[in-house]
Amino acid sequence: MADYVTIAVIAIYFLVLLGIGVWASKKIKTTEDYLVAGRSLGFWVFVLLMIGTVCSGMSLLGVSGLGYRAGWPTMWEEIFVPLAIGFCIIFFGVKLHNVAKNSGYITVQDYLAHRYESPTALRSLSAVAGIIVSLIYLVGQYSAIAIVLMWLFAIPLWLALLIATLVTMIYTTIGGLYAVAWASLIQSIILIVGIFIMAPIIIYYAGGFTHVNEVIATINPNLVMPWMPSGAFTPAYVVSFAIMLMVGLACAPHVINNVLAVKDVKYFKWAPLVAFLIYGAAMYLLKFTGLAGLVMVKAGVFTLPAVSNASDFIILYGIQYSLPILALWAVFAVIVLAAVMSTTDRLMLTIGAMCSWDLYKKIIRPNASDKSVLLLSKIVVILSAFGTMILSINPPDALASLIWMGIGIMLATFAVPFLAGLYWRGATRDGALASMFLGLVSSVVFGALNYFNITLFNYNYGDLPLHFSFYPLVIAVVAMYVVSMFTQKTSEKILDETQTGWYISKP
Amino acid sequence: MFGLPDITVLAVGGVTIVCVILLLYWGLTFRGHD
Repeated sequence: MADYVTIAVIAIYFLVLLGIGVWASKKIKTTEDYLVAGRSLGFWVFVLLMIGTVCSGMSLLGVSGLGYRAGWPTMWEEIFVPLAIGFCIIFFGVKLHNVAKNSGYITVQDYLAHRYESPTALRSLSAVAGIIVSLIYLVGQYSAIAIVLMWLFAIPLWLALLIATLVTMIYTTIGGLYAVAWASLIQSIILIVGIFIMAPIIIYYAGGFTHVNEVIATINPNLVMPWMPSGAFTPAYVVSFAIMLMVGLACAPHVINNVLAVKDVKYFKWAPLVAFLIYGAAMYLLKFTGLAGLVMVKAGVFTLPAVSNASDFIILYGIQYSLPILALWAVFAVIVLAAVMSTTDRLMLTIGAMCSWDLYKKIIRPNASDKSVLLLSKIVVILSAFGTMILSINPPDALASLIWMGIGIMLATFAVPFLAGLYWRGATRDGALASMFLGLVSSVVFGALNYFNITLFNYNYGDLPLHFSFYPLVIAVVAMYVVSMFTQKTSEKILDETQTGWYISKP
Repeated sequence: MFGLPDITVLAVGGVTIVCVILLLYWGLTFRGHD
């Protein structure tokens, strides 16, 4: 499919990203510059960084793919994923930003170590858990990049992965969060403008909004209902799914760390609403392209490839058949790449921060120079990029499933220690350790049992009535409460320093 | 409406509007501390 125009457009896009990396590298003097962009992000850079970080490969390929497979009952994703940005800013961001400025936090693990008076145990558990879930999430992102490049250029998977890895890795490695934030600004603008142009064309081509709904209702009446009568997406499942998306994404390490890089807390005033409106509208349109794609498949306009994750290709085929102009395909391929790369770069940098700052500087070698920490950050970014690339060579059946698994594990692992730490003065170090450990282990177990449809004690875990992450979340809450009741309390001085209490802004 | 059952329009539309109202309320009432 690739022609010279396509190759040129993609090449220009990659060159712009590399240029941002070179420009940003000149601003990097310290580890703080590299990992939190010198706490200098303004309103729009921050809002678009949050959108770019949350808007991942799933947002373009997975969201429309899920719409194609299950219709309107999955539309809740388009409300609660954008709402995750607001949840993160309101319930974590305001307080963390204020405390971080006074205490000089570089990562949210700094907060956990401070709040729970656990400079080694909780910091290392939290960093290791963060690295594991970020790697799972990263595999999903690389799989999405590979799908796009393979579709566009008809090249082998390993080559598609290598190209994507090299470009993202280079600008992230040399430019740190400055490069990631400014690349996200451009990527998010491309993404949002692109979706607002692309999606209506596909929907129009399929016959329009009302026609698409009428046709999918004839295929299966449940596809136009707000939930399914049984199986996945029943009302109860939808509630657990909404919690997983909103809270799980909000406390994901690559998302929550962004709040430390904002210049002024006043930007948190309108950022939640602005992000929700922009990203929410884009997500609705994306989901609807999946429904429009279903109508086109039923009408015989095109057939999806005979692969196990065929639904992830729906938006790409929708573009291809709605837009007969060759040159435009490349532009839209850039849009998809922008979505994926804006998350991938932030994930790699987060893994670099947790390894170099939390594990190396704060635990293994406290006397390490700033220069050596900075160097290690860059080495880890490179290693995580190539490590995940290798893991992505055998992508999972459905992209959305893998990414949801990552979000579900993040929810069970981090939500309780953060929320209890910020709002409950009774939460203790041992409570946080128990909650995080049991949340991580039980979510991996429940996720695997559910994903592989395993039957245990005469019960098939593929048929769980709620999203798998809800059960480990309950385990984490119980562990935090029970263990905190019987273990040593955090000192009042630390609780005051970390602004712990039942308020968002200090009264 | 739009080829959808009323329950779908009410449920999805209603939750979306509630979210917008809550975030608008946050914006109008938030006074940050630095």
